Amino acid sequence: MARTLSTRVLLVCAAIGVATGILGGIAGLLTPVVLVAAPFAYGLVLGSHVLPGIIAQQVFRLPLVALTTHLLAALVATAANPAWIGRFIGTALLFGAIQEGIAALTRYRAWGAWRFLLSGAIVGVVVAVVVFFVADLATLPPWAQITYLAISVLGPVAWTAAGLAVGEQLRRAGVARRV
Amino acid sequence: MTAVVDPYAAAAPSRRLLVGLSPLAKLAGPVPAMLVLVFTRDIATPLVFVGLAYLLLLVGAPLTRKVGLLLGLALPAGALVVGLGLSLWVDPMRVDGTATLLTIGGWTLHLGALEIGLATGVRVAAILALGLIAGLTTTGAELVRASVQQLRVPYRIGYTALAAFRFVPRFAYELEVIRQAHRVRGAHGGRGPFAAIARWWGYVVPLLAGAIRHAERVALAMDSRAFGAHPTRTERTVVPWRRRDTVFVAVCWVASAGILVALFPWTP
Amino acid sequence: MTTAAFGNAAAEAPRDRPTPPPLLRVRDLAVTHEGEDAATPASVTFEVAPGEVVLVLGPSGSGKSTLALTLNGLISHAVPAVVSGLIEVDGLDAATTPVATLARHVGMVFQDPDAQLITGTLRDDVAFGPENLLLPVDEVLARTERALRQVGLWERRDENPDRLSGGGKQRLAIASALAMGSDLLVLDEPTANLDPAGIDDVYDALRTVVADGRSILLVEHNLDAAVQLTDRVVVLDADGRTVAVGGVDAVLRDRAEELHDLGVWLPVSTMAALSLQRAGWSFERMPLTPLELREALEAAAAPAGWAPRDSVPRAGGTGASGVDGAENAAFSLRSAQFPHETTAAPVIDVRGLTLQRGRRPVLHDVALQVGAGEFVAVVGANGAGKTSLVQAIAGVIPPPRGTVSVGGADPARTALRDLSRRIGFVFQNPEHQFISHTVFDELAHGLRGRGLPTDEVWARTMAMLERFGLAGKADVHPFLLSGGQKRRLSVGTALIGGAPILALDEPTFGQDRARADELLRLLRELNAAGTTVLVVTHDMQLVAEYARRTIVVGDGRIVADAATADVFADEALLRAQGLRLPPLRAALSGVTRHPRFATVTALSELAGADA
Ligand SMILES: Nc1ncnc2c1ncn2[C@@H]1O[C@H](COP(=O)(O)OP(=O)(O)OP(=O)(O)O)[C@@H](O)[C@H]1O
Ligand SMILES: Nc1ncnc2c1ncn2[C@@H]1O[C@H](COP(=O)(O)OP(=O)(O)OP(=O)(O)O)[C@@H](O)[C@H]1O
Ligand SMILES: [Mg+2]
Ligand SMILES: [Mg+2]
Repeated sequence: MARTLSTRVLLVCAAIGVATGILGGIAGLLTPVVLVAAPFAYGLVLGSHVLPGIIAQQVFRLPLVALTTHLLAALVATAANPAWIGRFIGTALLFGAIQEGIAALTRYRAWGAWRFLLSGAIVGVVVAVVVFFVADLATLPPWAQITYLAISVLGPVAWTAAGLAVGEQLRRAGVARRV
Repeated sequence: MTAVVDPYAAAAPSRRLLVGLSPLAKLAGPVPAMLVLVFTRDIATPLVFVGLAYLLLLVGAPLTRKVGLLLGLALPAGALVVGLGLSLWVDPMRVDGTATLLTIGGWTLHLGALEIGLATGVRVAAILALGLIAGLTTTGAELVRASVQQLRVPYRIGYTALAAFRFVPRFAYELEVIRQAHRVRGAHGGRGPFAAIARWWGYVVPLLAGAIRHAERVALAMDSRAFGAHPTRTERTVVPWRRRDTVFVAVCWVASAGILVALFPWTP
Repeated sequence: MTTAAFGNAAAEAPRDRPTPPPLLRVRDLAVTHEGEDAATPASVTFEVAPGEVVLVLGPSGSGKSTLALTLNGLISHAVPAVVSGLIEVDGLDAATTPVATLARHVGMVFQDPDAQLITGTLRDDVAFGPENLLLPVDEVLARTERALRQVGLWERRDENPDRLSGGGKQRLAIASALAMGSDLLVLDEPTANLDPAGIDDVYDALRTVVADGRSILLVEHNLDAAVQLTDRVVVLDADGRTVAVGGVDAVLRDRAEELHDLGVWLPVSTMAALSLQRAGWSFERMPLTPLELREALEAAAAPAGWAPRDSVPRAGGTGASGVDGAENAAFSLRSAQFPHETTAAPVIDVRGLTLQRGRRPVLHDVALQVGAGEFVAVVGANGAGKTSLVQAIAGVIPPPRGTVSVGGADPARTALRDLSRRIGFVFQNPEHQFISHTVFDELAHGLRGRGLPTDEVWARTMAMLERFGLAGKADVHPFLLSGGQKRRLSVGTALIGGAPILALDEPTFGQDRARADELLRLLRELNAAGTTVLVVTHDMQLVAEYARRTIVVGDGRIVADAATADVFADEALLRAQGLRLPPLRAALSGVTRHPRFATVTALSELAGADA
């Protein structure tokens, strides 16, 4: 598998994973606040985890970079904070597999924004279902459930759009020019 | 990102039970229970698993101050906060048959709501505590080596991760400097969430640009040392899968199944 | 650098030995990077014999780094580029041999020490290469031990490399390259990011490599250290064509004037001799080291009427020393020597500044005044507190109230935005400071924030672009500028608000001397026009050339604060602070025949007083 990815691609993927992780880690401090103040908005926070894969795909447009980036980010995050090993690896595999899968379905040829946003929406649905059960959100009033579902899907989609914008900026800054 | 640890540090020599196990065994053992817990609704099942996880950790993990704080304070407090928080949001229609605990103006907290909330809190705590079995007794380097040697994760990925451990403090420091620099430039002053978002947005490109360039330099250094020359590489540190790993996983699975059958949390 | 002055006898004697087949053969090498139209280097030809140390010189952008990367095949295997010509390493064709094979023959050491650490302990790091080669465990361990012992790091084998100093990390990188078993070591500016003590460290290690009979190809801007070790020199011109190949005598000594005109850096002693020649001195043999310069001066007669030009104005007393009693050390060299500057109210006034970062105290009761129009250098070892000091002055980290006054304002009570109109701060890495998508907006940002009318913003921004030679780049993304241009832009952004004071933190870090010099010349111009300049740097020769006053920070205290020449008159003080004399000072301090040199520290003084 890794034969196809050069050392440079691997390390840049790791760097993207770590850098977004650090930005996201600060956002992650908000998690408990959100959970208490507005549990149905948790999808917005969780959605930020789509970023590494999206940025990596935007920078490289190569097979396997999304999954690799998520995996590397999870391994590094685990080293920095081993207690959450399960959460890191689980999210990484889930998000990475979905993003990679969508790209694979188009045989890594279509890189339009719609493709990324679609993967964002699917991530949103999957995450929504898992969190729904963990947090027993069926007990919330209907309006909160609907809000929750909408936000859970919109969260990753919005973060995906942000990731696309970041990729675009990196291109303009000449960082992602050479593949 | 709270703990600052040396991710390369060899595990302190310890004869404690969990430290001697393969990281993969410590991950695989609790996983079925964690998955099933997602779908439980009672309080007893997650409580039993919390108890089991704590027992394993107290007996088998090296007990440091940090571990003590996490197990004794952070986790219970977190469960309580999540539980109370959620009970505020429970649909009143579902629980208005239960006893009233508290009334503020037109709003009432029912016992049923509190029960549902606390059950969720304990469930989350149980899932986290089971994850800590591996988390508190494994170093990053061990995990990487075990994944490479037993899970057949390509070693190029593993060693990339090892090299990238160093990115964490480096990029965190860079981010700090970028924030200072932007402050001095007077970029996006102002308060409120929108100013904050605009500010953070400004940090992304400089941080990623610096990160990517640094990664490219590290890649050159690794390539010049024949990284990836062969399909395998010499491993000086062997992380074996021993009989006790198999036993640990088997015991975990059997115990999980036993608890779930005994308590069968899905009876209406 | 000064210690090396006495250990160079062996390197200077021409080595007579029968010519074995070359270890490395490069013929007509041209490399065109993807996306570029011209090849740099355009045509390089030279050879490296076993056991030889070859130094590659060339102006910035001539393709030296590119050359280094082609030698082990990273270009074009890992970095896309078109390579023509021939490279043969140990008889292997670099174009067709995989990097992994070439890596056994060519060991690489790069510029950035931090970018070459991979694993968690020194031993694992050195073993990393041999493990990749699938060598048996015993062999890996044997090689690792040998390499670590050779660079003197075996005792620290179980430590995390993060804990090494910059020089220590580079020695580790050398050990890692040695463990690959290569007979040729290629180093691309291995000391560019190091402080003076670190540079000494690296060259000590390289000497043992040479003693071991291996060959070295060295790309280096800091010739004062390199020349001691070099057997042969290869010189490239701006396009990357070989213009000279030969022994140190034939190239560096005999063609020094020509190389200087090419924009290639020479040893400071050689540059000094060239200046003196122009002023009428004559030397039998071009000196390359401080020791040789000293001897040459002892042997030469001064031209009639020659006197050093006093280009760095300095007042009165010279025989000062910074370490007489720990207590008043900070005040023994007080700025009393600048009566004309301190009579005016100081623009920077620091009193009783004690600062903590985290829980660590990093500055202890610091006091200092800077008058309007001064040019002050702040020097000191790593971790001494230089950055903390200038950041507290500029308000980047808030100082305690009432301890700092900048242009009459207390940074602790002033909003940063207002403060930036009084003092501009330039961070080490210019990219960190950029906040806009075009060069124009980058500069205009500081003006727009103040609500100036659009056409005035436009006019002032264009004027600044013009002044810094960036007019053609107004619409370019700041990240796409060259290193030197980025640096100028970051200075421009700090200045455009009209700040009369400029503080720069290690503005020359990681830049070659040409860019460093360009920047400091710019600062001198600004200073001449009235801007007060405060620079933190590790480059002692640059300090000597440009700063009138030097502040030495040691362990959170000001250890010395005096005219630059006076600070450099006290070598014991500098050494105690992990600093070194500037090479020129080291050369001239022992000259007995011409006492006038006793106070000279800057090359510009050597041109001779204007007649
Ligand atoms: N990866 C790359 N892609 C495209 N162009 C490059 C790349 N690396 C270098 N160049 C270009 O090749 C030329 C030679 O650069 P190189 O870094 O080899 O010069 P150098 O002699 O090492 O300069 P310096 O003394 O500043 O280090 C420059 O014009 C540079 O812009
Ligand atoms: N953010 C921080 N938190 C805690 N300690 C710090 C922080 N920044 C610096 N220090 C410590 O303060 C001391 C002074 O650091 P400072 O960066 O001012 O030194 P410096 O003289 O600029 O060193 P260098 O030459 O390495 O840049 C050091 O010991 C450093 O470890
Ligand atoms: Mg170079
Ligand atoms: Mg500093």
